[in-house]
Amino acid sequence: MGWLIGVDVGGTFTDFYAIDRATGAIAIHKTPSTPANPADAILAGLDVLSTTHGIPAGAIERLAHGTTVATNTLLQRKGAPVALITTEGFRDLLEIGRQIRPKMFDLKADAPPPLVPREHRFEVRERMTARGTALVELEDAAIDAAIDQVAASGAEACAVCLLFAFLNPVHERRIGARLAERLPGVSVSLSSAVQPEFREYERFSTTALNAYLQPVIGRYMLRLGQELTKRAPNARLGINQSSGGLMSVERAADFPVRTALSGPAAGAIGAAHVATLSGHPDVITLDMGGTSADVALIRGFEAEIGFGREVAGFPVRLPIVDVHTVGAGGGSIAWFERDGLLKVGPISAGAEPGPACYGRGGIEATVSDANLILGRLSSTLIGGAITLDPAAARAAVQPIAARLGFSIEATAEGILGIVTANMVRAIRTVSIERGHDPRDFVLMPFGGAGALHAGEVARALDMTTIIVPPAPGILCAQGLVVSDLKEDFVTTTRMAFEPGNRQAIESVIASLNREAQAWFTVEPVPAERRRLRLAIDLRYIGQNFELTVPIAQTGGASPALPDVETVRRQFFEIHEKTYGHFTPDDPIETMNFRLTALGETDRLPPPSTDTTARRTLTAMSRRDVWFDDAYRTTPVYDRSMLIPGQAFDGPAIVEQLDATTVIHPGDSVGVDTALNLVVEIAR
Amino acid sequence: MTKNLAPDPITTEIIFNALQSVTDESFVALMKSAYSTNIKERHDHSTAIVDRGGRLVVQAANSIPVHIASMLGLMRTLLAKYPLSDIHEGDVFCANDPYHGGGTHLPDVNIARPVFVDGVLIGFVCNIAHHADIGGMSPGSMAGGMTEIYQEGLRIPVVKLFRHGQIDQDLFDLILLNVRVVEERRGDYNAQFAALRLAHRRLLEIVAKNGVDMVTAVFASIIDRTFARMKTAIAGIPDGTYRFEDVLDNDGAGTDDVKIALTVTVRGDGAVFDFTGTDRQVPGNVNIPLNGTIAAVCYVVKAMLDPELPNNQGVIDSVTVTAPPGTVVSCVAPASVASRAHTSQRIIDVVIGALAEALPDKAVGAANGANSMAIFSGIHPTTGRPYVYLETLGGGFGGRNDRDGKDGVQVHITNTSNLPIEAIEMEYPLLVEAYGLIEDTGGAGTWRGGMGLRRVVRPMGHDCLFTGVGERFRHQPWGIFGGEPGRSGRFAIQEADGTERPMPTKFGDAVLRHDQSAVIETPGAGGYGPPSGRSVEKRDEDRRSGKFSDAYMTKHYGVAPSGGG
Repeated sequence: MGWLIGVDVGGTFTDFYAIDRATGAIAIHKTPSTPANPADAILAGLDVLSTTHGIPAGAIERLAHGTTVATNTLLQRKGAPVALITTEGFRDLLEIGRQIRPKMFDLKADAPPPLVPREHRFEVRERMTARGTALVELEDAAIDAAIDQVAASGAEACAVCLLFAFLNPVHERRIGARLAERLPGVSVSLSSAVQPEFREYERFSTTALNAYLQPVIGRYMLRLGQELTKRAPNARLGINQSSGGLMSVERAADFPVRTALSGPAAGAIGAAHVATLSGHPDVITLDMGGTSADVALIRGFEAEIGFGREVAGFPVRLPIVDVHTVGAGGGSIAWFERDGLLKVGPISAGAEPGPACYGRGGIEATVSDANLILGRLSSTLIGGAITLDPAAARAAVQPIAARLGFSIEATAEGILGIVTANMVRAIRTVSIERGHDPRDFVLMPFGGAGALHAGEVARALDMTTIIVPPAPGILCAQGLVVSDLKEDFVTTTRMAFEPGNRQAIESVIASLNREAQAWFTVEPVPAERRRLRLAIDLRYIGQNFELTVPIAQTGGASPALPDVETVRRQFFEIHEKTYGHFTPDDPIETMNFRLTALGETDRLPPPSTDTTARRTLTAMSRRDVWFDDAYRTTPVYDRSMLIPGQAFDGPAIVEQLDATTVIHPGDSVGVDTALNLVVEIAR
Repeated sequence: MTKNLAPDPITTEIIFNALQSVTDESFVALMKSAYSTNIKERHDHSTAIVDRGGRLVVQAANSIPVHIASMLGLMRTLLAKYPLSDIHEGDVFCANDPYHGGGTHLPDVNIARPVFVDGVLIGFVCNIAHHADIGGMSPGSMAGGMTEIYQEGLRIPVVKLFRHGQIDQDLFDLILLNVRVVEERRGDYNAQFAALRLAHRRLLEIVAKNGVDMVTAVFASIIDRTFARMKTAIAGIPDGTYRFEDVLDNDGAGTDDVKIALTVTVRGDGAVFDFTGTDRQVPGNVNIPLNGTIAAVCYVVKAMLDPELPNNQGVIDSVTVTAPPGTVVSCVAPASVASRAHTSQRIIDVVIGALAEALPDKAVGAANGANSMAIFSGIHPTTGRPYVYLETLGGGFGGRNDRDGKDGVQVHITNTSNLPIEAIEMEYPLLVEAYGLIEDTGGAGTWRGGMGLRRVVRPMGHDCLFTGVGERFRHQPWGIFGGEPGRSGRFAIQEADGTERPMPTKFGDAVLRHDQSAVIETPGAGGYGPPSGRSVEKRDEDRRSGKFSDAYMTKHYGVAPSGGG
């Protein structure tokens, strides 16, 4: 039996979470990231796991990898030169987009310039209609003329984006084939392959991003794959996607845009796993790090999926775990707005220089400085790797306190109050504004800073329970380990959803199913691990927005369409939940058919714990911690010494290698069998 | 209320944040449950909290600038009409009329509900939404050619639609009888009522948590702080008198060159915007009530001075806007107003033109200055059902002091998205033959103006009707500080052989045959600074991108096309 390893490459650290499939034994490890070549940190970390944790590389069965290479490439605009081939008359579509400005009141805020400059956008004479038939045929000579221009442009990648290619990809495929033949060194992205859904701008944008990333990610994947094969020949490498599942290295090289938002996705999947172990189906996650906080909803043990988002200012149309980000982190800076109000974030001190208390040259007051002043953070973090400087923190907060006429403590408490308000607003956005009451959810903080603030956030939202996972700082890596292999198939077919069209609808499903079965074979996914989920985007005829209605789930067989009336009723229910009303007599129609194929991973046991030695609960120290206008002597517990069944009341601080949990006065804490801290908020 | 309860900056920030959640949440709730496309997809609605004196405290982040005017207009007429003794828990007030309800055009229906704590009125929650129809002579209540407010739809003065929580069904029936597609409109009203109830509940939750004195003190503090911030910004404008004037092409009803004149006087932290000299109101529906003019001035002053400034009474109170009653920017009954959006755009251009000398780094070349609209209607040849497809198109945005203008965008107070071509063609029997930027339309300059958009549309297998409403077709969008003007827009009908028949700036229901195509070209925008200041790199980019022809480059920059490219 072997080990499963999750590797999450972040901006600062590369995290490892390893679990022995047989025993449930766990090893975790953190090593500085190597941005120049992220693979170096991965290989170095595997060496450490081998030498100090006794995990020989040969015993690794699966390595699940979350990468920010695509995200960083985009943010830094370091992708490849890209050319575009598009339908005659529509060269500027990628540039015009939806003709809107990002901020109504800002005369200088523009959407970013397109990734393909105008001189590298080439037209071919061809045209498909809304019925998927060719109104203007595509001539071979036109293809070659366009390819001549691509060749002359010096592009390393070419996006092929034709109108209505989601209905009929024949023209795109002919161009793609000819490109491969004539320019074998140029990566090719077809819009009908990247995301064959309607709405041309979003599809073209997604495809252009994919092309932009292909050469860079392709090289990275190739190198990583080769190195791993050498080192860990038995390990299958899975790459995390933004939808919260893994894909093969080959697919990641073909569709790198799918990794562009994979970081937060892994956290949500990890949180869903912890939710399952702790028996709480409905969770709001709060992943707070140094610069930002990500919040997401988990319902019925599953992270919510959305289908559209912006990445680095460009729309991406793909299944993506629905995460909302707000500029609230440990490094968020407190500052006075011109109207005299105190603001916290979104500007962050980042890793360099970092908060003032890090002693690396930061002089502005941050959230971490406030936490240190109030005793919420210890000046010597466990492990002793970093020592924080309370005097520097006070010096940074002092000018703000002086301007307010407040004590330094009251000012620090105010800074925490504001950052809490910012996170609360983000949570209201993903919950209340979408029809979910946060009081029906538990709050799960993670990341380095989540558990410092969860008590205040939960109070502000009247939530009653907080679950702090055992290793909040590496929940993303843990999420990777439990991620399924996943592939999303989509096709747009617009037709009335009525009994008369049953055969036509079933034939669309059958064709998606053929693609999924082929994928099962290629991967390969063993029969007992195959799962298929069918959903259809439906809308009232005449509407311009769709609702995704789950239709059927199977253990790998083609999903059957239930009777039309049942599906209609489901659509009405979702319409009512989302929009507050429905009209039972109006006709509805199909737009996108979505088939998700999963190769299920092992259902892992809870982490093993040593419960034989019945440890008594003892505080490792006590210190003054500021709660409600006064310092209170507060016990500090070592998280690694806590065992299931133990319980204590706040005020208390729980410290561990990668996170600190603040328990407010009156709150009660229990340790559950999966080693989560379960905090009940005092009412 | 105690006077010395001045809330500190931290408490104010936290409660302000919570109040913003109230307006944002009710904004989303309204958007989701409404039926009108205008509300649901174009987000032509706003939500707000006002204090007991009718002063705007918080507006949803995505609110529409001109809606501020209508909300405050409603509050003013409401408080003038109803003494406090006649305002009760559960009342809901409703209005849309520019002359008796503080509105700016009839499709914007405004509602407000008082909020009481222990029997004491602390303020109002309100919202406003653009209904797809409000009755009148033309479906959609927005067509050109209307010359009196009576033709534009149902006029609602400020009335109580709910009394003590009970809807006045007789009144509601009367309102609904006067609009088209009554079931959908009923849904829009219900969405507005629900959003109002939600905001009311949330505001009371905030009061329960923080105390009524603290919350009302924060109301005042937010407005005072914004006012002070705005005053500081105005004080940064050099004292002086600044003048500018410009014209609308026409009113669509026979009057050409409708002049808008402005004198801005800045003294210390005071600024007076006086529109004396502006033309009398016109028969066509491009008139705008003074409220709307104030909203346009506030939009552009905030955009030029401090875009991140919260939108509340403090902004409005910081400037004085005057215009002689009976002019096109301060119209009186029964002037028609439906297309006042074009006039808003022109007022904004005029304010920028006037302040350019004083604020050269904040000024921009004239943008496309229009709310260019094209409507196609007919009978679908395969289904036999009637269809109407309406689109508003962006154009150029003006050159700025440190960057070029943006090509092909909605500008200033308009920011609605286009409809995807694949959506148009799946829904309507139309073929979009081309959609792109128009070569040589951005005015030359050190920083050039943005480019206009061109769209060519052909009816498939049937004849249809084509309506166009444009602006800046006769008068080009000007450049500033030596920047050249952008090119004008135009409408045309194109024959199969490529020949074109020009169409007027504003016209209705022209027949477009199955073998003809409608050509819509929106204006570009003016440049900033003299073309001679344009860098070699930028000129190379203009040429390389194909956005400007060699002939254009030679004419405006005096440089022969470079051989190397």
